[in-house]
Amino acid sequence: MKTVEREDDERLPIEASQGERVNFAELYEQNFHRVYAFISRRVGTRDHAQDLTAEVFHQALASIGNFRWQGAPFISWLYGIAANVLSAHWQKCGRSPAQLAAGWDQGGPEEIERGAILAELVDSLLPDQRTVIVRRFIEQRSIREVAKELGRSEGAVKQLQLRALESLRDKMGRKI
Amino acid sequence: MNRQVDADELNLELESWLAGKEIEAGPKWQSLLAMAAEVRALPYPEFKNQLKADLLENVDTHEPGYIAFEQVTGAAAFAEVLPIFGGRDFRIFPADHRSFVVSFISHTALIVLIASGIWVGRGTVLKSTRITPELTYLPSSGGGGGSGDRSPIPATKGTPPKMNDRQLAPATIVVRRLDPMLPVQPTVVGPPDVKLPQSSQIGDLISSNVVIPSNGSGNGGGAGSGSETGLGGGTGLGYGPGSDRGTGGGVVRPGSGVSAPRTIYDPEPEYSDEARRVKHQGIVLLSIVVDQQGRARDIHVARSLGMGLDEKAIDAVRRWRFSPGMKDGIPVAVQVNVEVSFRLY
Repeated sequence: MKTVEREDDERLPIEASQGERVNFAELYEQNFHRVYAFISRRVGTRDHAQDLTAEVFHQALASIGNFRWQGAPFISWLYGIAANVLSAHWQKCGRSPAQLAAGWDQGGPEEIERGAILAELVDSLLPDQRTVIVRRFIEQRSIREVAKELGRSEGAVKQLQLRALESLRDKMGRKI
Repeated sequence: MNRQVDADELNLELESWLAGKEIEAGPKWQSLLAMAAEVRALPYPEFKNQLKADLLENVDTHEPGYIAFEQVTGAAAFAEVLPIFGGRDFRIFPADHRSFVVSFISHTALIVLIASGIWVGRGTVLKSTRITPELTYLPSSGGGGGSGDRSPIPATKGTPPKMNDRQLAPATIVVRRLDPMLPVQPTVVGPPDVKLPQSSQIGDLISSNVVIPSNGSGNGGGAGSGSETGLGGGTGLGYGPGSDRGTGGGVVRPGSGVSAPRTIYDPEPEYSDEARRVKHQGIVLLSIVVDQQGRARDIHVARSLGMGLDEKAIDAVRRWRFSPGMKDGIPVAVQVNVEVSFRLY
């Protein structure tokens, strides 16, 4: 029953996208974090990871009409595109065959899933907690800068930081 | 108080780690530092939304999926067109043989007359027109214009002149004075950066009159069935069926065969500092037009919330993307109201 439900869940937005490509937005939302997690664990910098992720989705959108449902999850098809994009990127960087092989060993399915879940959990934090987490660890701003943006004291921002990290840790523990 | 002490302690560890120093976090903070490290690998938050907007930007909403043409071939096609020729199948048209003969002869005569070149306006010659494929969408600004010289013949088919923010000469098709002292290029009034289809023959895009030079049945000095000095069936200095200036296109509302647009990408609005400080919350009601490309235009505040939130709501809706409203399988500009909610949790 679960397999059938999952198939139906995926099939409808895929067929909708093949009919009207503007409906690709739903597939994008469902799979963005997994694709990014797959790529980010295999490239050195966030900028590279974002560029290559963008390339994957542009290629996916361009060729969605060619996708044929064969029972495998749609994400598998996206991983295939991502693998090609990564290969091209590494070859451009001049990686040796041994290095190419080693690159594929980074980040298995569990790690990718964990990255996707974490991204969703960050999105679901309370607004001020989310702001602190994003500014501090993704954008690497100081406590002072974040306090000024939120109109709060530095002490209050540190407490938000503590509560946000605890919340993420606890929820990740429950999800996995 | 203990909570603040913990927060300060954790922050010291995090600062060292962020600075790239080697740290040995005790068991108390290890799990939280590991969590911070995982968060650090996430993409910039705006990247996901920007990429989505970029992907949707490249999608052509006028794909075949919007217009369903049924291809009929072979015997089925013959059966479909048979009634037109007075065939036995009267399902669609109760055709009559004599009517067909009369119609055929009269149409042939008309074609011969046209080909003979009898109807040529004095001093003007209609050149064959080719509408350039440069037509981009006409912003649904609600504007329009119209004119004419009370001719019984509709304005000649053609393309509008360029848009300018002022008009020195109205767009006429039949020019009465052929040797003006100071020739001035005709224009219609509207945003100069709007691209209208261009050709060698000024006229009304939607007119059925492709032969006879005519300024149309309107009045005012331009061309069309409207009034004032624009071009088209509207009123004003612009082009199209609307009024005032710019271009019109008959913005419609949902209902009567028109489907409502649907949001496919609606990022949350930002809070203004002023409203956040006093924890001001509520809903801003905006009246918008969703154009054929699924973007919001002509955004007006129907119900204000104040404290800078109206502007934030407008900024957010400008970034929204919609699946456009449809009429008869074709995207149309639709006017709708949108609620933008501001809540502090």
